[in-house]
Parts: sequence; C-alpha cells; structure tokens
Amino acid sequence: MTDERFDELMRDAKKTYRTPPTADFDAMWDSIEAAHFGGATGTTRLRERPRGSRLPAMQWMGIAATLVVGIGIGRLSLRLEHAAPAAPPVTAMGPAGSADRIDTTMARPYEIETSQYLGQTAALLVSLPTETRTADPQFAMRAADLLTRTRLLMDSPAANDPAMRSLLDDLELVLMQVVRLQGSGSRTDLDLINRALEQRDVIPRLRTAAAATSAN
Amino acid sequence: MDPDRRASPSPEQTPGDHDRTFLAGTASNSQHVNRSAVALQSSYRVSEPDLIARVLAGDRIAARELYDAHSPRVFRLAFRLTGDADLAREFTQDTFVRAFGQLARFRGDSALSTWLHRITVTVVANAMRKVKRFRERETDLEDVHPINSDGPGVDPVLRERLHRAIDGLSEIYKTTLIMHDIEGYTHTEIAEVLGVAEGTCKSRLSQARAQLRAALSDLAPEFGS
Repeated sequence: MTDERFDELMRDAKKTYRTPPTADFDAMWDSIEAAHFGGATGTTRLRERPRGSRLPAMQWMGIAATLVVGIGIGRLSLRLEHAAPAAPPVTAMGPAGSADRIDTTMARPYEIETSQYLGQTAALLVSLPTETRTADPQFAMRAADLLTRTRLLMDSPAANDPAMRSLLDDLELVLMQVVRLQGSGSRTDLDLINRALEQRDVIPRLRTAAAATSAN
Repeated sequence: MDPDRRASPSPEQTPGDHDRTFLAGTASNSQHVNRSAVALQSSYRVSEPDLIARVLAGDRIAARELYDAHSPRVFRLAFRLTGDADLAREFTQDTFVRAFGQLARFRGDSALSTWLHRITVTVVANAMRKVKRFRERETDLEDVHPINSDGPGVDPVLRERLHRAIDGLSEIYKTTLIMHDIEGYTHTEIAEVLGVAEGTCKSRLSQARAQLRAALSDLAPEFGS
C-alpha cells in the first residue's frame, strides 16, 4: 500500500514535475551553427550585436575624429621614425613565442589610447554589478563607450599583435553582454558575463596587457 | 515500480534517437541549414558513424541531422534538471557547441546519445552552481514552479510537497532520480552518463527515494514507516 501510493505519486511527478515546454529548436540551431561553424547565417546569443547605437551621434563623431587624428599622428611619427636611424624595437615581451604576451611595439598615440582603454576596461569589469536590479545606468553607457573603442582599436595597428587581437575579441564579446545587461536586466546574462570572464581568463590577461602598455 | 525499465520515447523524440540511423542530405556548407532544407535534401539513410565523419569534415547538413535527432531529449533533460526554459535552451546550445567541438574525441565506446547526455549533465551541473548563487537571493514566490494540473487523483498539496522535496535533493541524488524516475533512463544508461557503477546508481536512487519519503512523512505518515 505504501509503495503503491508512493509509486503513484512518482508517476504523477513524471507528468507534472518540470514538464518541458515546447522549444524553438530552429532558433537554437541558428546559435549552435553560428558558434560552431561561424559565418553570417546565424547569431549566437553571446555574439549578438546590440540593436542600434546607444551613443549619441555627436559622441560617435567625436570618437571618429579622435581616431582620424590618432591615425594621422601615428603615420607621421612612423615616417619620422623611418627617416631617423633605425633603432631596435622596444617590446615588453618575454621569451620568444610566448603567445600570451602582448607586443606593445605600436605607435605612441595608439599606445597611449590602448593603455587608457585597457585601464578603464579593467576598472569597469572589476566593478561589474553583482545584482542586475541595482545596475547603474551609467555603467551600461561606459560599457557602450568602451565597446566602441574596442572596435576602433580592433581596426587599428594596436590589433596587429595576435595576443592583443585575441584580448580585444574577448573584450568585445564581454562588453556587448554588459551593454545588453542594462536592457535585459537578466540574471542569466550577468551569469553568462561572469562565465565568459572566467572561461576566457579575461581579467588577468587584461591586467597583464595594461601593465605592459603602461610600462612603455 | 519497475526498477530498470527501458526508456520510453518522448513525444518529441525522433525515431532516429533509438535506431541510430539518420536521414542525411548532401553537404552544403555555404548555406544556412534549416529544417526545410534538410527535409528537401534528405534522401537516404546513413549510419551514425558516417554522419559523425561528415560533421567532422565540416558538413552542416550532417550536423543538423545529429542535432535534430538528439536535441529534443537533450532539451528535456536540461529542462528537467533546471526547471527553467531559458536555461534549458542555453544549456542545450552549450551542449551541442561543445559536442561538435569535441566530436573528434568521441571514440564510439558508448552511444552518441549517452555521450551527449553526459555533456548535458556536466554543462548543467557546472552552470547551475553559479545560477544558484543568484537564485538564493530571490524571493520564495519566484521559486515556485508552475504545476501542470494534469494528473487527477493525487493530492495537490502532496504533489507540491514532492516537487519541493525533489528540488531539495542534493545534486547527485536529484540527477539520478530525475533521469530514472522522471525521464525513464535505465540504470545502465545513467551509470554511463554519470560515469559511475550501476550499483552506485541504484544506491543513489534508493537514497533519493528514501529522502523523498521522509520529506513527505508528515503528510503521508505511511511513507515514513
């Protein structure tokens, strides 16, 4: 009798305990396909670009202007360097072939911009809110600004170094999630950010890179 | 209760999950693969090892075939273990991304489904530890799972208490109980998925049931005897 009643209860649980809902398997496949095979056909949840710009047009123009000036100064300084007697490049790299080290032999304007960017990004990620409902709106704006600068740096000579490039790729991913966090307010998103930070070892790499660039 | 019954196919499960043969189409790696494309191009059956070989060669159609065959059961398992549709979706995606990334390491010692479910359980267990940290801060109201009222004859209070008791089991007992009693895996399958001996699996199930009985004993005193 006892066993029968318990068995009846467990049979009921089979039907009633966490009954799986219907799922959009095609949408899930899109994410899996994009993550595994790459390409432009699908978008993963992690790599989804935020919809629309979160920065005012004037801010975009200011950033673009800064970049143009930076590129101009960089090219000018490169020409001057070529005109002067060649000197061995100064790098912050350790033993040759160490893929995790950041090659900081970039033009001075990029060096300064990269150093500032890395420091600010490290500060932002370290102060990531632990609770979405208490997230500061300014936080998302800072993240959006840093995301823009990440993408600009990815298209600059600063990203010529593979390790720096890899770091920027990861930071772009993380910052995109941080920007989205403000809109979604989802705990899962916050958890994903923390997971991405841990799995990709982002904070230690960021600090190493920041230290390397600021030392120059 | 039958201690080691065979897993019964779920309504969402495809026949391919059992006979380990799949509909397969021609490779087309340059285009997005959707269900209709697979259906149009599917014309003959290939074995699971062949399908795996094609996935390893970069065949998206073959990958989609594997996904179609296994994703419903992976999603079901992820949902039963998490009770959260968003998380289940996320973990299903993670499972397949990991599985495709590590497919070259699959040696065929066990069924592909077993290997996939092992990844699922690992993904869920690792992620849920972090998710729990956030959940602990939530109110009791948010912890209440909606209950499917299908199943007359069982006292709703007892049912709710049982669900709570299952939620409260420790991870190893809960996983074993859900896989066996709720999802219908055999002890052999669970042992392979969890990487433990069958005896261990049976012992865990027995312990889990004993804990549930104890948790319900105030409502149903005979369970405590």
